[in-house]
Amino acid sequence: MHIEIDGISKHFASTAALHPVSLSIPSGALVALLGPSGSGKTTLLRILGGLEFPTAGRVLFDGQDATGLSVQDRRAGVVFQSYALFRHMTVFNNIAYGLNARPRATRPAKAEIARRVTKLLDLIQLPDIGARYPSQLSGGQRQRVALARALAIEPRMLLLDEPFGALDAMVRKELRQGLRDIHDETGLTTVFVTHDQEEAMELADLVVVMSMGRIEQVGRPADIRARPATSFVRDFITA
Amino acid sequence: MGRPLIHRSPMPGLGLSMGITLTMLCLVVLLPIGALLTKGATFGFANMWDVVNRERVWAALFLSFRLSLFAAGFNLVLGVVLAWVLVRYRFPGRRLLDAAVDLPFALPTAVAGIALTALYAPNGAFGSLAATIGWQIAYTQWGIFLALVFVGLPFVTRTVQPVVEEIEREVEEASATLGASRGHTIRRVILPMLAPAAMTGFALSLARAVGEYGSVIFIAGNIPLITEIAPLLIVIRLEEFDYDAAAAIGIAMLLVSFAMLLLINLIQVWSRRRIGHV
Amino acid sequence: MSDITHPAGFRPATTEHPLTRWLLVGFAVLAMGLLVFAPLVAVFAEALRDGVTAALASLGNPDAQAAIRLTLAIAAIAVPLNAAFGIAAAWFITKFDFRGKAVLITLIDLPFSVSPVVAGLCIVLMFGANSALGGWLVAQGYPVVFALPGIVLATMFVTFPFVARELIPVMVEQGRAEEEAALTLGASGWRTFWTVTLPNIRWALLYGVLLCNARAMGEFGAVAVVSGKIRGQTATMPITIEMLYNEYLSVAAFSLAAVLSVLALVTLLFKTVLELRHADQLAATHRH
Repeated sequence: MHIEIDGISKHFASTAALHPVSLSIPSGALVALLGPSGSGKTTLLRILGGLEFPTAGRVLFDGQDATGLSVQDRRAGVVFQSYALFRHMTVFNNIAYGLNARPRATRPAKAEIARRVTKLLDLIQLPDIGARYPSQLSGGQRQRVALARALAIEPRMLLLDEPFGALDAMVRKELRQGLRDIHDETGLTTVFVTHDQEEAMELADLVVVMSMGRIEQVGRPADIRARPATSFVRDFITA
Repeated sequence: MGRPLIHRSPMPGLGLSMGITLTMLCLVVLLPIGALLTKGATFGFANMWDVVNRERVWAALFLSFRLSLFAAGFNLVLGVVLAWVLVRYRFPGRRLLDAAVDLPFALPTAVAGIALTALYAPNGAFGSLAATIGWQIAYTQWGIFLALVFVGLPFVTRTVQPVVEEIEREVEEASATLGASRGHTIRRVILPMLAPAAMTGFALSLARAVGEYGSVIFIAGNIPLITEIAPLLIVIRLEEFDYDAAAAIGIAMLLVSFAMLLLINLIQVWSRRRIGHV
Repeated sequence: MSDITHPAGFRPATTEHPLTRWLLVGFAVLAMGLLVFAPLVAVFAEALRDGVTAALASLGNPDAQAAIRLTLAIAAIAVPLNAAFGIAAAWFITKFDFRGKAVLITLIDLPFSVSPVVAGLCIVLMFGANSALGGWLVAQGYPVVFALPGIVLATMFVTFPFVARELIPVMVEQGRAEEEAALTLGASGWRTFWTVTLPNIRWALLYGVLLCNARAMGEFGAVAVVSGKIRGQTATMPITIEMLYNEYLSVAAFSLAAVLSVLALVTLLFKTVLELRHADQLAATHRH
C-alpha cells in the first residue's frame, strides 16, 4: 500500500512535535524513520497508526484520505517498543487476539484461527511456543510474537516503534534479518522508527532522517551517506 | 536439609528484634487465640457442635456470611470503578474523593454505625425518602448490607488502584490497533489484568465484613433469626457468662476467617503463577 | 474531563466514550456521597442539633471527660508498644534470612482477619476471672478483664499488624546495602539504626502509627467485650457513644462521635499530605 503524508503537523499543548511534514512512501517499501529522541519520528508513526490525530494535514492510503479513520479500522499492524503483549494470555491467544476481536459476522471459524496462528508461529520460526505465557519468553522471542500478532490481522502496512530497542546486540543483528525476511515474504509497506543510524542504513530501502519535528533528508542509504543534505545529517550518520 | 534455621548475617540486632517480635506475637496474638482453642478442646467437639448446631446460630452465621458476600460483591464493582475513575480521569474533586475512600478505615465503627442509622432510619434524611416508596433500610437486612459495604469499601479500591496505574498504555493501544473496540479491550485485556488484585480486595473486604460488629449492631435491629449477626451472638453468650458457648461460636468464626486467609493466599499464588513478574 | 484537548471527532484509543466516563464518575461520586460523605455530615449535624453550647456541655460531662482520658491513655500505651513491635518485626523479617518467614508474616497479619469480637473473647478466656491465669491475677489484685490492661491488650490485638505492614515493604525495597555500608564504616548497630535505617523509614513509620492510632482510639467490638462498660472507669469513647445512644442521649452521643470524626479527618489529612510529599518512601500498595 502506498502511503502519502501531506502537510502533517502535530502540537502538544503549546509545543510543536511535528512541523508540517510531507512524505511519500511507495508501496512495499521498507522505510526507516531515523532521528534522535524528540525528533518527532514516533509521533509520525503513531499518526500513521491512528494513535494520534494530526493538528493539521492529511494521511492518504492508496490515494484515499485516511486521516479520520479510527485505529480499529486502519488495519495497521503495530509493533510497540515494549511489545505490549497481553501477559495474561498465552502466545497463541495473543496472536489470535485480533481475529477473535472481530465482530461475529467477519470472525473466522475456530479451526481457521488456529490454522493461521500456527502458520504465523512457523513464519517467526517459533513453532512450539503457543502454550507459553509472555513472561516465559526471552526478549527476542517476545519481539517476534509481537510481530506475529500484528501480522495476524492481515494488516495493510506494518509499523514498528524501535523494534530492536530493548534487545542486546547479538539478538538485534539476528532479528534485523528476520524483519527483512518477513518484509520480503509479505511484501507489506513497512515503517520502523529507530535512533540507531547503522540499523537504519543496513535494513531500510529508504531512510527518512528527522530532527526537531522536521524531515532533514529522505533517500536511499547509500545516497544519504554519500551526500548528506544538511550538517545535522552529516553529524548524525557519522556519530 | 542442610539449610540452617537462621542464616548467619553481619546485621546487628538479631536477638533483640527476634525476641521482641516473637514475645509480643505470642503475648498479644497467639496465646489469647490458644486460650480460645483450649477452651474449645476442654469443652469437647460434640458439645461445641451442639451449641453451633442450632437454628439461631446457623441463621446468624448464614446471615453474616451471605450479607458479607453481597457487600463484598458490591464493593468489588464499586472499588474497581473508583480505582479506574481516580487513576484515569481528571475531574473537580478527584483528590477529595481519593482521600475519602480511606474514611471507613479511619472512622471508628461505632461512629459509622450511629451515623448510618441516623441517616437511614425511617425518620432519617434518606430513610424517610426510602420510606415513601415503602422501602425500609435501617433495622432490616438492607441496613446490615449498608454498614458492611461501608466498612469494606476501601479494600478493593486500594488493591486495584496501583495495578491500574501500572497498566501500560501501549497494551491498550495494541488491542485497538488489532481492531478491538474499547468495550472488547476492557473486557478481554483490562479487566483480566485487574482481576487478581480485585479478587484479593474482595476477599479482604469479605473477611472484614464477616467479623464486623461495631457498625452493624446499631443499624441491624438485632432480631434473632432475621437481623442477628454472628459476632452479636458471641457478645450475648458472654453477657450470660456462658463462656463455653461463646467459645464454640468464636471457634466457628475463626475457622471461617482461616478459610478466607487461605483463599487470599491462594489467589495471590495463582495470580503470580499466571502473570509472572514481567 | 481529559487533560489533553483533542481535535473534534478524535478519541484516543485509551479512553472511554465521554458518556461512559460521566456515568462511571457519577456512579462513584453518588455511591461515595451516600455511603461516606453523608454519614460524616450527619455526625456533625446531629451533634449540633441543639446548638454548639449543648454539644460542648455534653462533652464537659464527667463521664465524657473520663472516656476521653481513658481513650487517650489506651492509645498512649498501645500505639508505642505496637510501633516498637512493628519496627522490631520489620527489622527481623527484612534484615535476616530464616526458615518460616512466610509463616511469621501470616501470623502477624492474622488479627486483620479475626473478628474484633473474637479477639475480645480470646482475651476474656485467657485473663477472665474464671480462667486459671485470670483468677490468679485477680487474687493478686491485678484484674485484666473489665480493667485497663484488658482493654489495652484487646486494642493491641486488633491494631497489631498496622506498623509492621507499612514498614516491611518499604524496608524490603530499600534493601540492606546502606546498613552494610554503615557497619563497614565502623558504626555500631544502634548507631546504624538511628542514623541510617530510621531516617529512611520515618514516613512509613509515621503513616503506620497514624493508622494504628486511629484504629486504637476507635476500636469498638474487641473493647466492648473486655471492658465491662463501667461508666467513668472502663468505658472508652466508642463505648460511651454506644451507651449514650442507647439511652437516647443523641446530642451527647453524636458530640463524642464528632470528636472522634475530627480525629479521623486529621488522620486522613496527614495521610494525604504524606502521600503527596513522600510517596516514594511509602509502600506502593496499601492494605489494611
